[in-house]
Formats: sequence, structure tokens, C-alpha cells
Amino acid sequence: MHLHKYEKIWLTFGFAALIIFLSVVGVSAFHQGHTPAGGLQKVDPDNLESTPPFDKPGVHEKEDGSYEVAVVAEAFGYTPGEIQVPAGEKVTFKVTSKDVTHSFSIVDTNVNMMVVPGQVNEKTHVFRDPGKYLIVCNEYCGSGHHFMSMEIEVVDQ
Amino acid sequence: MSNAIVQQRGIGAMIWDYITTVDHKKIAHLYLVAGGLFFLIGGLEALIIRIQLMQPDSNFISAGLYNEMITMHGTTMIFLAAMPLIFALMNAVVPLQIGARDVAFPFLNSLGFWLFLFGGLLLNVSWFTGGAPDAGWTNYAPLSSTSPGHGVDYYVMGLQIAGAGTLIGGINFLVTIINMRAPGMTYMRMPLFTWTTFITSVLILFAFPALTVGLFLMMFDRMFGSAFFDVTAGGNAIIWEHLFWIFGHPEVYILILPVFGAFSDIFSTFSKKRLFGYSAMVFATVLIGFLGFMVWAHHMFTVGLGPIANSIFAVSTMAIAVPTGIKIFNWLFTMWGGSIKLSVAMLWALGFIPTFTIGGMTGVMLGSAAADYQYHDTYFVVAHFHYVIVGGTVFGLFAAMHYWWPKMFGKVLNEKLGHLGFWPFFIGFHLTFFIQHFLGLMGMPRRYWTYFEGQGLATGNLISTIGAFLMAIGTLIFLYNVIYTAIKEPKASADPWDGRTLEWSLPSAPPFYNFKQTPLVRGLDPLWIEKMEGRKGITPAEPLGDIHMPNGSILPFLMSMGLFIAGFGFIYQVDNKLWFIAVAVGMGLFFASMFTRSFKDDLGYHIHKEDLIEKGDGKE
Repeated sequence: MHLHKYEKIWLTFGFAALIIFLSVVGVSAFHQGHTPAGGLQKVDPDNLESTPPFDKPGVHEKEDGSYEVAVVAEAFGYTPGEIQVPAGEKVTFKVTSKDVTHSFSIVDTNVNMMVVPGQVNEKTHVFRDPGKYLIVCNEYCGSGHHFMSMEIEVVDQ
Repeated sequence: MSNAIVQQRGIGAMIWDYITTVDHKKIAHLYLVAGGLFFLIGGLEALIIRIQLMQPDSNFISAGLYNEMITMHGTTMIFLAAMPLIFALMNAVVPLQIGARDVAFPFLNSLGFWLFLFGGLLLNVSWFTGGAPDAGWTNYAPLSSTSPGHGVDYYVMGLQIAGAGTLIGGINFLVTIINMRAPGMTYMRMPLFTWTTFITSVLILFAFPALTVGLFLMMFDRMFGSAFFDVTAGGNAIIWEHLFWIFGHPEVYILILPVFGAFSDIFSTFSKKRLFGYSAMVFATVLIGFLGFMVWAHHMFTVGLGPIANSIFAVSTMAIAVPTGIKIFNWLFTMWGGSIKLSVAMLWALGFIPTFTIGGMTGVMLGSAAADYQYHDTYFVVAHFHYVIVGGTVFGLFAAMHYWWPKMFGKVLNEKLGHLGFWPFFIGFHLTFFIQHFLGLMGMPRRYWTYFEGQGLATGNLISTIGAFLMAIGTLIFLYNVIYTAIKEPKASADPWDGRTLEWSLPSAPPFYNFKQTPLVRGLDPLWIEKMEGRKGITPAEPLGDIHMPNGSILPFLMSMGLFIAGFGFIYQVDNKLWFIAVAVGMGLFFASMFTRSFKDDLGYHIHKEDLIEKGDGKE
């Protein structure tokens, strides 16, 4: 197989770019510990009423001063439908679904989770600015998909 | 579409001829017509979606029907329009490019087409039997496994049958390209379109079984009471997402790689230059195919797979940008210093480069897991994949059709009408989808039936809808061009574009046995080499002799029809066990045909040397 000199340079450039690129992204991802939402907690979607924290959906203050919000999604709405959380505090959202896959995405933030029946998805977020935040379902869930929303009011302490 | 000889024999004979044909060129026609028809249906569904979203609080169609529209638009366009149109090109071109008389398995080739067609028909019958599938084209469980009615059942059975056809087609092209290249056609002398078809076939071979498995699990969940996706019974809904995307992401490359190959051939032909960096192009294609299997979870960043998994998939996703970038630059370098002829095919190819680059760039944006939380399931994603699939695959199909039309139908598509059709489609496309990036960033989620006034989404959606109608106009001009060309244009010469590869050494359209004598390939761009050395045609690699040809067969049609009938039986046996009769009849027909095929020898026939000499070089 004959390779022209320019082709050799170009191939070398391509492979070098690939290796450098992979290492840079790899190092920045693993070394700096980027952590998108995660967790592998399982839950029985038929027994949410007796499974903490979903037996009492809503905002709970924990001992360390941070907050935990338990939310149950179901076609086509969330329980609770409205909550209040303080600004500047760590808020951990724990969400699960009763029926089909929904999503829990707080507009204008990086909180965007798929809400899967049988699994608990969680994400921690600090609201800096007080105000009202809309939460929408962006995982297609049926004919009422576009209605599905809830609201968070972030208040000054 | 038809040529003069066929018309003389009457319409009935022509239909029989096409139903029983095993000739790759005629199967290409079938794929083109069927895929084109589904493209129009999918386009109509797109227009209905755009009309519904044209203004806020719209009530043009109900929410339920809207969901069926989005589901069927996606499913139809991917499985029933883009895939078969690509298969039309592969069938029409690949055997000619490698100097073969047909594909390796002509019978299977026909079977692949009829399975696709009957699967597609089954899926679309659902519109008339109480509702089309409505769980989105991704069909996520448990929404799909619990969806009432039979819509999703049609999705499962239709795609299962059509998918089997695609798998057969993929294997066929793998064997064809490995085994049937003319003497001298080494791997590194294959035209780029053949190369990308080869890699695409590998992707089909490895990706489609994942879909098959997923669909079988879904079928048993919905029809036979299993619980693979039922969380309350210990199942797991996420498995569907994995299976679907293990298939679904390579599918994206199955759609784009063949047109990459077509563009490569077009760029070098119309720049009158050897393709820049041929070997780099081949390696980039292989690399894209390889990496394409390691990125599926970037569709699932928000599922909660954890930081490690998300990071790995983000990295591998971005890595694909490198070979793709190599390709883009190679095309630019091919044109650099070339003597460029702005034919319609070249125009589509030129339109493709900036369009696809935008799509690739938003792809890298979506690929970075941390940023994806902002974009996931918004219109930004919709804009991205339409830039890739329309700006890449559909532009590529238009370019390739204008380029190879003379080889497929013996006439060059009217260039003026071609230019006229390009602009409304091109402008309309960017009007429709560019604004959707911003609608997505403003927070408009996808698959929403409607939106309220005063959310700032109205203007963008109106512009988008206007663009969609421009695209429809462009498509209609193309259709008019096809009819106009068939009636008015003169017969094309063998080599209207001053081509470089083997297919242009044959008359347009080629005789049914393609090559009277198998050609001898002496390098990359074999026809160009011969032309540069002052020869009229390709040097033959064998003396003139008898040609062995396969007989046509009705069996592929019957086998596919059997599965079609059985499909209805499987869908409705849930309501009434009597429907198992349909299963028995359908599967009976299927296996009886298969039995006939296996036990009845069909040795084909020979075209005798004397007849070949009489016919000259195959031109009538």
C-alpha cells in the first residue's frame, strides 16, 4: 500500500490528535472527579407509601443542616406539587416514579434527572438566587406529558 | 421509472417481473420507490407536527394523535425511509463499483427487500386499526410495555420483520464485497462508497441483533405475559434503553457512513482530482464504525448511571469528532485546487459540509455529560439530530441520487430543475431547524403537544413551520424532476460526469448481467487510469464466455407475506385465541416457501457467448 508523504503527515496528525484528545478529556474527567448525578438505590414502586423517604414526600431538614427533598412522579404530576427550600443551602433531591419513566428537570439549573420506576435518582443542588423555579417533565410519558410540572420557591433565610 | 422495453410487455408482466426479480439493479428500484413512498408519508407526518406547533394553544390535532404522529414520524423516517433509500444506492452501485455481476446472494437480496416492505406496511396498517404506536420512536419501557391498545404491538412486529430484512441485506453486502471484487480490486483500491458500505454492513451485523433482542423481550412482555421490563415483578426498565441504544447509536452511523462514501466519490469526480487522503478516509471510516459501538449511553446521561460511566461515554463520544473532522478536511482538500464543476450532486455535497459540521459541533456539546443536563430532551437535541440526519443523510441521498440516476435509470436528472429544487430545501431546512437550537436553549422540551402564549416560543415555532413547508416544496420539485426527466430527457451516455470508477465504464443503464467480461482493475479510480492512458474502456480480465445467471423467484415475496400474516396473528391473539390460526397460516406459508427453496434445486441459467457477441456491448 503506497502512502503519499502528505497522507502520512495527515494520518499521523489525526492519530496524535485522537490520543491527545482522549488523554486530556480522560484526565480531566477522572482526576478532577466530575460527578454527574448518580446512585443505584432500588425501591419497590408499589410500596412507596411505606418506604422512606417517599412515605412522606416533601422537604426534610437533616441533622447536618442540609435539606433532602423526596419527590414521587406519576403520570402526570409530582407529589408534592409545590415546595419551599432556603437559598444558599445544600438541597438533595431524591426522586422516583410510580408508573413510567418521567424526568425531573429544574429549569435554568443543572438538575435534570430521569425518574425511573424502581430506582432512586438523586442530585444535590444549591440555589443561590431566591425566586420561583419551574420543574418540568422532559421524558416523554404519554398524552399529558406537556402538563406535567411542579414549582419550587426558593426563599431567603 | 420504467424503460421502453418493459412498457411494451404490459403492466402485469412488469409487476410480475419486479415481484420475482433477484437482479440487484431492479431491487434498487424497488428500494427507491418503497423508501421514497415512506419518505413522503414521514414528511407528511412532519408537516402535521409542524402545523400543530405553528402557534401557541393550538388544537389542530389532539394530544393523543400528536403522540402517534411524533412516534410514527421518527420510526418511519429512520427505519422505512432512510435505511431503504441507502439500500437502494448500495444495491444500484456497489456491485458495479467492484466489477461484479450481482450481489453474493441474489435470492436473499430480494428477501431482504420484501421483509422490509411488509414490515413497513404492517407498521403503517396500525393507522387504520385503532391507533398507531404512541410511545415515541425510542419506545421506552415501561411507557411502551404498558401502553394500551395495539399500537406498540404493531411497532414491535413491524420493526422485527423489517429489521430481519435489514440484517439479511447487511450480511449480503459483507459477503459481496469480501468475495466478489474483480481481479485487481484490492481492499485499498475500492471506491469510498464501497468501503463505507462495507463498514456499514459490519455495523448492521453487530447492531441489529441488539434491536432484535429488545423487540423480542418487548413482544413477550406485551403478548405473552413475561415481565422483563416490569419493575414490580422484578424486571428492569432500563434494560430496554440500553438495548435500544446499543442498536440505536450504531444505527446513526449506519445512516451516515454510506453517504460519506457517496460524497467522497462525488467530491473527487466533480473536482477532477483523486480523493485527498484516501487511506486516511478509509481509516477514519473504520474508526467511526468501531467507536460507534462505545457511545450508546450518551443518550442516557440523565438516567443516573454514575459519574464514571457518564465520563467514559462522554470521552468516547467526543473522540468520534476526530475521525469525522479528518473526513471533513479531506473533502475540503480534495476540492482545493481542483477543477470544480457545480453540478446538482456537487451542490448538495457543498451544502452538506457546513450543515453537517454544525450538527457535529452540537453533537460534541451534547456529548459533554455535564452540559447535557441543560440540553437533554429539549428542542436542542431535536435540532442536533435533524442537522445530522437531514443535513447529512438526506442531503447525501439527494446528492447520490442526482449522481447515480443515469446508472439507475439511464437518464440524467434535469440539472436546472435540480438547482431549482435544492434552494427551497436547503433554505427551508435551515429555517426549520436552526431556530430550534434556540427554542431548546430557551427551555422548550421535545415531544410537547402544545405551549402557551407569552412564553417567547411562538415566533421561533412559526419560523420553523414556514421552513418545513419550504422543504416540502423542494421535495415536490424533485419529484417533478423525476417525472420530467423520465418523459423529456434523452438517454444518458455511459459516462456523463467524466467518472473515475468502474460503474461509469458500463452503459447507462447497464445490461442485466452488468459486465460482459469481468474487468481488470489496475489501481484506485480504475476507469480514470484507463482514460489517462488513452484507452476507451476497461481492460477485461477474462475472455468472453458464458455467463451464469440466477433465476427469479416469487419465494421471497411469499415468505415475507407469511410473516406479515403471522404478525397480525401475534398481535391479536391477546384478544382472541382464534387469531393463532393466522399465526399458523402465516408461519406455514413462510416455512413451506423456505422448504421449497431448500429442497428444490434452482441452478439458474446461462447466457451464451454467441448471444453476447450478437448484442454488442449490451447497448440495445
